[in-house]
Formats: sequence, C-alpha cells, structure tokens
Amino acid sequence: MATMTTLLPGEDVPSSQFPKSKKGTLTLGPGLRHVPPSTILATTAGSLQVDHKKSALWLEFENGRYQPAVGDLVIAQVHHTGSDHFFCSLTPHTPHALLGQLAFEGASKKTRPNLKSGDIVYGRITKASKWEDTELECINPSGKADGMGQLKEGMLFHVSHAFARRLMMGTDKSGHSKGAVVILEEMGEKIRFEVAVGRNGKVWINSSSVKETVMIGRLLTTADEEHWDVEQQKKAVKKALQDA
Amino acid sequence: MGPEIIHHPLVRADGSATYSSSLFSVTAAVNGPIEVQRRDELPEEAAIEVNIRPSSGVGGPRERWLESVVSGVLRSVLLVHMNPRTLIQITLQVTKEPSLKLRRSVKDIAALPSLLHASFLAVADGGLPLATTMSASLVAVAETGETVLEPSEKELAKSRSAHAFSFNTHGDLLLDESAGEFDSQMWESVCQLAAKACADTVQRGEDEAMGNGAAEKLPWLRLELEDRAREGSAWRETT
Repeated sequence: MATMTTLLPGEDVPSSQFPKSKKGTLTLGPGLRHVPPSTILATTAGSLQVDHKKSALWLEFENGRYQPAVGDLVIAQVHHTGSDHFFCSLTPHTPHALLGQLAFEGASKKTRPNLKSGDIVYGRITKASKWEDTELECINPSGKADGMGQLKEGMLFHVSHAFARRLMMGTDKSGHSKGAVVILEEMGEKIRFEVAVGRNGKVWINSSSVKETVMIGRLLTTADEEHWDVEQQKKAVKKALQDA
Repeated sequence: MGPEIIHHPLVRADGSATYSSSLFSVTAAVNGPIEVQRRDELPEEAAIEVNIRPSSGVGGPRERWLESVVSGVLRSVLLVHMNPRTLIQITLQVTKEPSLKLRRSVKDIAALPSLLHASFLAVADGGLPLATTMSASLVAVAETGETVLEPSEKELAKSRSAHAFSFNTHGDLLLDESAGEFDSQMWESVCQLAAKACADTVQRGEDEAMGNGAAEKLPWLRLELEDRAREGSAWRETT
C-alpha cells in the first residue's frame, strides 16, 4: 500500500489506479459500482484498495451492517424450524437465512440434526442475492463438515464486521498476522480455547472455564471498539493473563 | 468555523452521527437495510423511513413535514435500487434549538440543513450505498436586503426571509425550501450563494483554501469523511 486513496460517495476511481490485467477484466468489490462504459464510482466513503495480482478493486470501510456474500463463513442463530429448513438470523431485523436440514455432515432424511431455536451454527453462505432469501450450509461440496455445524456451549461475542474480517485474514508466511490482530495468537500460547469467527461480526469462544472465555471475548470487543494496535493488544493480553 | 461533528456516537445503530451548528444540534441514527413491513415494501427499491423527534414534547405535523422533506432528499442521495424490498430507517433527535423566539416557519427552514447534514453523515457512517455526496446550507435575507450565509440566531430573528438549499457534489439542486417575503431575483442570488457554499464544503485542494486564511472556506465535509475513511484502514499501515 504505497499511497492510500480515500474516496467520497459518488467520486470516480482515477483510471491511473486501475490494476493492469492481462485479460483486460476488472473485479469490483464492496463499495464500488460500475457505470458503463468505463466509470467506476464509489458508493460510500472509504479507502481504495487494489490487488494487482487478482486485478481487483474494492473500498474498505469500517461501519455498517453485514451484507451476505457467497462463500462467507458466518455464525448464525437458529430462529425457528420449518419443514425442511432451519430459519437462521445473521444480523438483527433482517429476513431469515435458510439452512437446509440436510446440509449437514452425515445428515439424511432419517437422521436430521436436532437444532432448537436459539442454537448457534457455523456455516457458509451459498446463495446471497437481493431478490431471494440468503441460504446457508454446514457441509463442504466433498460432504465433510470441516469445522462447520452446531457450536455447542461457549459464548458469543459481537464485534464490527470489519474487525471480524481482520480476525479471519490469518497469517502470512513469516507468521505475522495480516489483519494486525494478535490477541488470539498471544492468548493461544497460554490458554487452551476454541474459537470460531463469523464474517457477520460474531465471535464464538469456548474454553475450560467461563472466566477465560469472557476474558478473551472482552479483549476482542474492546480491541475493536478502541482500535488497538498490535503493541496495545500485546500489552492488554499480558495484563489480562497476570490479573487472571 | 465549521460545525462540530461526532462520528458514531451510538454503538448499537448501524450508523450514527451528531451534528452541531450554531443553531441546532441533531443526533442521527441509521439502521438498514432491514426487514420492511409489508405495507411499506417497495418491489424495486428500498423504503426510507425518517423519524424526527423534537427537543421537547412529541412530534406533530411540523415534524411530519420535515420528515417528508428529509426523506425526499435522501431518496435522491441513497442508491435505493441496490437494496430492494428493504427498509432504511433514520431517526433524528434534535438536542439543541435556538433559544430566541423565532417564527415557526423560519425555524423549520433553519432546522433543515442541520437535519440533512446529520442524516447524511449517519448514512455515510452506516456504509449504505450512496449515489453522491451532498451538503446543505441556510441563507437569511435581512430587512435591508442583505444576504447572510449561515445566519446567527439574532440575524435569523430579524430576517425578512430564510432559505434552505441542498446541493450534491455535481452542483445539482436537491432541496429548496423558503419562508418569508422575497422575489425571484432575490431567490436567484440567494441560490447562487448557497450553491457556492455547498460546493466549498466538499471541494478538493484544501491547501488553496488554507492559504486564503478563510476558516469558513475549509471543506469540512470532505475532511471529516476522509478522516473517517483513513481511520477505518489505519490498521493496514501498522503491518
């Protein structure tokens, strides 16, 4: 990221910023819209990010509601059960997302998963369109659960969707966190816990004691709210471990 | 001096902003896109619901009128077709009003720019798809025929007419509401003044404005939005 371009709603992306692709195609991400023939306008205030390898452009912004996109891993809460679907909520006050009762590992018509309202599932979005209901599944194309499915016990914490995205970025080859969040790594060296991050701004944590679970969750939510940098995160983790 | 702005004061809302000018303070909260009631549902676009709460008491016909004006402007700013069959809900709470006794019609006009700025900043904060950036301004015409941009309470109380205008970045007129006595010639000169003022809040090339030493000419809206955008991706620089 050499120089960061910030755009206001309705401003066009300068053509000098377009990535040069061999195929001559561009991929547009969130926050941008294409007005034929060749204008790309920002739809919100954000900083322009360019990926030259994938010839992709997108705007990064912090706040707002999570908008479902195909392939996103999310944490959904079952609201009620239908005849062949679970109706799950991804974000408050939005239409329910559908989770097929057979979209689980090893599920058949006779052995359906028994989810009650209020249960939490980790799943992947398979359909997201503005005209239809969002659909989820807890199974890979290969038929394996791959970590998806019901999340039992543990606690759910709410963070902003931008922070959840950073948590999910993983680490690069040298082991540095790409999203500049090190709380989970630092904690993982001292405490054993399970974690699942949903792109819709939800983090599920489970450990041997409630105290530890709450400690990790609180660290994550305050890191999000107060925009901690890596040093602050490390300090806070150290302090939390001492106080525990 | 530009107005005072607090970004994201409400944690639970999708987007929120507090806007304080010398006359009014308004806190705006935006939720959306959310599920819409069947009777308000629009098949091709998002419904916009604006709720205005006065600083004291419950809203009446005046608030309903202001709501309809604000939602009309926001409809042309938001890209409503991006989220069909949804609702974008905007709640505006007025927290400060002029203390001087003003004519009610003038007061309503004077409130419009603050209400619009607060709701625009909240909508931008909520990351909702927007077609353009907009800005609004208030102009009063004194008894002597002198035009005053962003008048103070006293100037407003003594004014012959008050005008609220809103323009987008391309200079298109989004809102024109006036109260009092004026002729078309006066309106035109007031409109030009307001267009210039609105363009100034989002103009590029801040160094130039700084060089003039005119504090009023600072493109505060652009600076505020750019600051927010930079804050959102500040973590990138540390890696």
